[in-house]
Amino acid sequence: MPKREIHSTPLISQSTPRSHSIMRHEQSLRQGLRPQLSSPPRRGYKTVQQAKDRAKLGPFSWQAGILFLFAGVGLTIYFRYEKARMARARIAEANKGIGKPLIGGPFHLTTTSGADFTDANIKGKYSLIYFGFTHCPDICPEELDKMAGMIDLVKAKHGNVLRPLFISCDPARDTPEVIEKYLVEFHPDIVGMTGTWQEVKDVCKAYRVYFSTPPDVKPGQDYLVDHSIYFYLMDPDGDFVEAIGRNFTMDAAAKVINDHVGDWKGKLDKA
Amino acid sequence: MGWFGLTADKKNPADPEPSSDGGYVAPDRSTRAVCYEMRDQFFQCLDRHDILDSVKEDEKAKKVCGPELAGFEKSCASSWVTYFKKRRVFEYQKEETIRRLEGEGAVGRPPPTAGGIATTALRGK
Repeated sequence: MPKREIHSTPLISQSTPRSHSIMRHEQSLRQGLRPQLSSPPRRGYKTVQQAKDRAKLGPFSWQAGILFLFAGVGLTIYFRYEKARMARARIAEANKGIGKPLIGGPFHLTTTSGADFTDANIKGKYSLIYFGFTHCPDICPEELDKMAGMIDLVKAKHGNVLRPLFISCDPARDTPEVIEKYLVEFHPDIVGMTGTWQEVKDVCKAYRVYFSTPPDVKPGQDYLVDHSIYFYLMDPDGDFVEAIGRNFTMDAAAKVINDHVGDWKGKLDKA
Repeated sequence: MGWFGLTADKKNPADPEPSSDGGYVAPDRSTRAVCYEMRDQFFQCLDRHDILDSVKEDEKAKKVCGPELAGFEKSCASSWVTYFKKRRVFEYQKEETIRRLEGEGAVGRPPPTAGGIATTALRGK
């Protein structure tokens, strides 16, 4: 019994404050919140026409339109970029190969300063390899001028990430002194190298370069060397990435290299 | 062009200069420029006389463009002379082929593709 009494008392006492609070709430609604609830013009339509236009348009406004446009343009740019990146990744991956690489491989040459240079030395940076010979009439000089421009463009964008190499296919005439004198007219960064006839033949074979230098040329003999004219781009792992042909302009070729460098996720020597 | 002429006189690219380490010094940029200039003069003369292949029409070329040919041969190594003469014919045939194909309705040339290895093998000298 006493329990019930205890229970009933708070009920009554509770009801009074509740009714009070409701009243207070209603009052506040009438005063403060009322305009918000009773009128749809939250955004403040002044005329009925405005409200009707609004209803016709639905949730669209110029802000929404701009947002939509930006999102669309942004997504388009992003997808194009991703598509190009995926295409490059495919090229780079396809050329990485499983097991023996298609292009590249062990070789041994000597630089113009007399240092040994092997396939191990092309790692760390991207390498851009050009095969040629100094007594080349017109194509090599053109291509080497292009190479000089490519070196500068890549340097400007990514820093010192590219190792440009010139491999002479004409070891009989192209001694270190001759190569050095020749290359300095194009770009000081290009490292020139050659080797014995057999060494040059081996490196040409590894890079699938057509090589026609006869092994026994007489001193002072005047001849031309038929050779392939591609730039070979090798990644910092020493794997073949892409061959850049003569049909590429300097800017297009530099873009190919810059894009691949930009894609590289591993270690990259910029020293 | 005076100093170009001077360099050309000083050393004849036809007999290459030996280097101190047993190689042969290649023509430098200015020597090449002289050679190209003399080549162009010779080719302009060939154009004037309607000669395309100066290897095949050697007699005629010598007769009508004698001085130009002499200048060309003096400024360029003989392997270069032969190469440029042949290249002139090759370039002409290439242009002709492109013109013919375009006349037949071929549209444009294939765009330069990445992975140039797959495109027609380019060989140069």
